[in-house]
Amino acid sequence: MKGNLRDFSTTQILNLVSLAKKTGTLSVERKDMRGSLSFKDGKLIFAAVGEADGSLASILARDGRITKEQAAALAKHAQKTGDKQLGLLLIQKGYVTQSDIIQSIKRHSLAAINQIAGWKEGSFFFDASRMPDDGRITVPLDLESIIIQLARVQKLDEQLEEEIPSLDVCLKFVNQPGVQLKDLQLSKDEWRVIKYIKPDNTIRMIANTLNMSDRQIRRVIGSLREAGLVELVRVVRRQPLTPEERENKRNIVDRLIGRLQAS
Amino acid sequence: MPTQTVKMVITGPFNSGKTEFVRSISEIDVVSTERKITSEAERDIKEDTTVAMDFGRITVDNDLVLYLFGTPGQRRFDFMWEILAQGMLGFVVLVDSARPETFREAKSILETFRAYAPTPYVVAANKQDMPDAWSIDDLRIALHLDSDVKMLPCVATKRESVKNVLLELLYSILEEIDAQEE
Repeated sequence: MKGNLRDFSTTQILNLVSLAKKTGTLSVERKDMRGSLSFKDGKLIFAAVGEADGSLASILARDGRITKEQAAALAKHAQKTGDKQLGLLLIQKGYVTQSDIIQSIKRHSLAAINQIAGWKEGSFFFDASRMPDDGRITVPLDLESIIIQLARVQKLDEQLEEEIPSLDVCLKFVNQPGVQLKDLQLSKDEWRVIKYIKPDNTIRMIANTLNMSDRQIRRVIGSLREAGLVELVRVVRRQPLTPEERENKRNIVDRLIGRLQAS
Repeated sequence: MPTQTVKMVITGPFNSGKTEFVRSISEIDVVSTERKITSEAERDIKEDTTVAMDFGRITVDNDLVLYLFGTPGQRRFDFMWEILAQGMLGFVVLVDSARPETFREAKSILETFRAYAPTPYVVAANKQDMPDAWSIDDLRIALHLDSDVKMLPCVATKRESVKNVLLELLYSILEEIDAQEE
């Protein structure tokens, strides 16, 4: 099974894997990043994307359970013994519990699948014979709830695309915000975007400056608009009319008004 | 002297009353491109829908004619929108005041047209004669419209109401010309 996410989305692939209870590894690749999702009997058991390679050391470090330095030392150890042995060692030494490891891996897998689901383009290939190395710790996750969640997010993203069809428009703060400003709680990303909101900056310019994807910036702008804080403003700048053109236009509008008032 | 033509665009979501609006004020029978609706969900709302545009006309005198273009309301025909928006004097966004499920779409259409051309516009809260119509004030909040955006009550089947909306749009155009002079 292979193709492009442009034609067959991650959510659709996951649905197929779940329904057919497939076993194997889905590799997804786009220009700047690659990821892989492994399944057993239609359940997600292992995920890796970009630098988050799914190794126990990196997962625990990202989850803040160990430091980066510790992770680097443990990664070397795991190369020899595998993640399962490393996990046992960490539990025995009392650094983490079994539950900590399972929860961290679940969180990592969900984050990876969410990230890959956001890719709209990229080649994919499902290899039924490829599975994670024996040394890896695999935690099975039901795909059904993940698919429902992804479909919901996808629908929201589609709605946002309809609401903000072009990123080449500017933003401005509304005169009367639809929210009590003292009650306002903004996310880190929303604060970052707010800093750049002015009539001269298009959404695309803000996204480029903050290194945000189209999807990320749409979500931030969407929530700021939903809160009634900002609105889109026209970006097309009108050439000022010459005095003669202004007079002609005024004449036309006056005549139209006269015609309508008389009718 | 050749006749000068100017145009205004009437836009808004599906079933917001654009065709009726143009019909109520046009001096000619509106040239409509309506087709039977194929979607079951939409057919529950009305039988026919505009697929390309509605076209109406108001003759001012021998030298000046105003054309009114009603846009198709469904997104799948939005390729017509930009074409219709080119060179417009201003535009009217019609909102069905009794169907809150279309408000989000109305706002989106409004913003799309604002991006096409920096022309004046007004928002007409149509179907104000219906018992469950939202008030103008509530609609303004729901649509996140600034207080300086003209929002007018409208009943698109009534000529006087349509006339009032068009006059308000023309006044906005005059205000813009004045603002350019200052």
